[in-house]
Amino acid sequence: MRKSSLFRMRPLARGATRALTVLDAAATRLYGWRWNPMHQAGTVAVAMLLVLLATGLYLILFYRLGTPAASVARIAADPWLGSWMRSLHRYASDLFVIAAVLHALRIFAQGRTWGPRAVAWLSGLGLFGAALVCAWTGFVMAWDSFGERLALDGARLLDALPVFSEPLSRIFAGDGPVPSAFFFVNLFVHIALPLVMGAGLWLHVSHVARPTLLPPKPLLWSIIGALTAASVLLPAPLGEPASGFALPHATPTDLFIAWWLPLSETTPTAVVWGTTLAVAVVAVLVPLAMRQPREGAFAPSVVDSRLCTGCNQCPQDCPWSAITMVPRDDDRPTLMARVDPARCVSCGICAGSCAPMGVGPPGRSGRDQLATTRATYEFIDAELTSIVAINCQQAPAGHSAALRARGALLHAVPCVGGVHTSLIEFFVKSGAPGVIVVGCPPRDCAAREGPKWLHERVYSDREAELQPRVDRRRVHLATSAPGNLDELIAEFDAFAVHLATLDLPRRDPDSAIEVECESAVAERAWQ
Amino acid sequence: MARASAAPLPYHDRDSARLRLSWRAVPERIEVCREVSAAELAERGEHMRQRVDCDGRSATYVLRVEADGRILHESVVRGSGLRHDRPLYVLRDFVLAGGEHRVRVTFARRERPEGATPAAPPPPPPPATDADTGVFAGRARREADERVRRARAAVPALLVLDTSLTFTQARVTLVTFDAGRRQLLARQTSPSQ
Repeated sequence: MRKSSLFRMRPLARGATRALTVLDAAATRLYGWRWNPMHQAGTVAVAMLLVLLATGLYLILFYRLGTPAASVARIAADPWLGSWMRSLHRYASDLFVIAAVLHALRIFAQGRTWGPRAVAWLSGLGLFGAALVCAWTGFVMAWDSFGERLALDGARLLDALPVFSEPLSRIFAGDGPVPSAFFFVNLFVHIALPLVMGAGLWLHVSHVARPTLLPPKPLLWSIIGALTAASVLLPAPLGEPASGFALPHATPTDLFIAWWLPLSETTPTAVVWGTTLAVAVVAVLVPLAMRQPREGAFAPSVVDSRLCTGCNQCPQDCPWSAITMVPRDDDRPTLMARVDPARCVSCGICAGSCAPMGVGPPGRSGRDQLATTRATYEFIDAELTSIVAINCQQAPAGHSAALRARGALLHAVPCVGGVHTSLIEFFVKSGAPGVIVVGCPPRDCAAREGPKWLHERVYSDREAELQPRVDRRRVHLATSAPGNLDELIAEFDAFAVHLATLDLPRRDPDSAIEVECESAVAERAWQ
Repeated sequence: MARASAAPLPYHDRDSARLRLSWRAVPERIEVCREVSAAELAERGEHMRQRVDCDGRSATYVLRVEADGRILHESVVRGSGLRHDRPLYVLRDFVLAGGEHRVRVTFARRERPEGATPAAPPPPPPPATDADTGVFAGRARREADERVRRARAAVPALLVLDTSLTFTQARVTLVTFDAGRRQLLARQTSPSQ
């Protein structure tokens, strides 16, 4: 992997991966990989935005600019709706921050920040910054001791900039009531920013095909239910009403959003601004630092025009909308796939989607997969008696080792979604008793939709499907996620037991799978 | 999560009190003024015929804060803006132990009037016959009134607050400039209370 000329991000990414692995494993043990909320962090963040919008609309009906503290106190004192609506608003904002940070951490750890994904990364940073400012203004709206504390620190930081003619901090000094105009501007920012965030969210997913915006319904309603229960049972406390003359010993501080407050309060403003700017610049430069050379493993996909039948499948499967169908430049009547290198991230999903094996990153098309594998296993042609485990390179290393220890022959691939089903057929025809394909959890796939497409190609006849001539009993799809090693081993063992009940596999190592694939496609095209 | 969402984070020391100085004031102008001759006025556009031209700068002040005879703070305060010709702002906090303290706050102009005149001179009497007509009628009087208003709006050359104050723990005692009474005063509650 190329080292960045700007600065080295890889050690940071490795650290993020290690941290995520620990958190993922804990969450998988709690929820199972299917419902692991860690893998759904981005969609959970969007769901929380919707919760914030709904609860915010209710709260704004009862908020009074002239008496902010008293109106929020009235809302908090209403035991039927106001109290838990306000708490839900608070807890949803906390969960948004947690989810957004985890989402960004995962994207960073998986190196999904360069190329066309830079737009998503940069807009995500903007969304996160806007959300923090929005949260800041939200706490100030309540105008309790914590809101006042945030307002004072914000004013102190803004006063260091040559922007305002009169120091903002004097508004809160106590020599006059805090003007309503301040609360009006604060409220305006609090309401306007979510509108801006809506546009930002559109930009965030604009380069992604079929963006998933919400978590699965059971998870979504579980989270909302849990937050609502917490809001009813443990309503968020309100501090003492703000007063320019009071010096509270402590404030009820939201550590998810204002963890930095004690640091900021005791640090010179120049250092705070400098640090903030430095962090922002480093975050903005991540796509540049993590960028990959468009060659070797990161070369964009190419289309073999001789093999392309114009079936329109690769554009449907591409997770980045990098493939379009265009008129051919020869006399064949079909369209032809064309890859936009600027949008292609070399995930290789298209290689698995093309029945005649005519598209994919250089060296990773279906034909290349078959050729490489044949060359690799030629010398054991007569001895392929182990279960073959086609495993994703992103899977935890310990899981691969565990499978190897149980006698599996490992065949690592960049992503199982890029595996052409003819590769599975090749192993089965080569005498392997069975093939287990071990992918990442569907919502944790670095190529976004790899396990999903593979499942459909094997079991639901999605184009480039596993041919009917392949004995499905000898094929199994499994998931490897941090924390589910026991489940994976149990699944492997059960598969091995199941294979032992079958007859010996019929070996047909000489079959020309590529030709059979082409024939099948041609036959379908003529029908 | 609920616990971390409202963690009691330490803020102020429980035993201490604060002396806060906060005010906004218009600095005096240190100016040299002259009456514009009739010939000069005639050369100007009708809307620019100001009878007195003044040139100068805003005064600067020394802020000195003492508690029980000990100097807590001393600094020069200038008007805001690049040319320091905008209003000046004071905002300082001092931590003191609770209890009674003798506090002395001095806000004194640094410049001495030498040739230049602080706070603009009394205007020359307007001419008996006002040549201005139409919308400009009475301009001389308005100009004179404006100079008086600006002189009166400026902060006095010397402000002193020298008094004993009882500081309550975990409370702020505010010293501010009352523009109406043109003096410093101490407060321990907000004006609305």
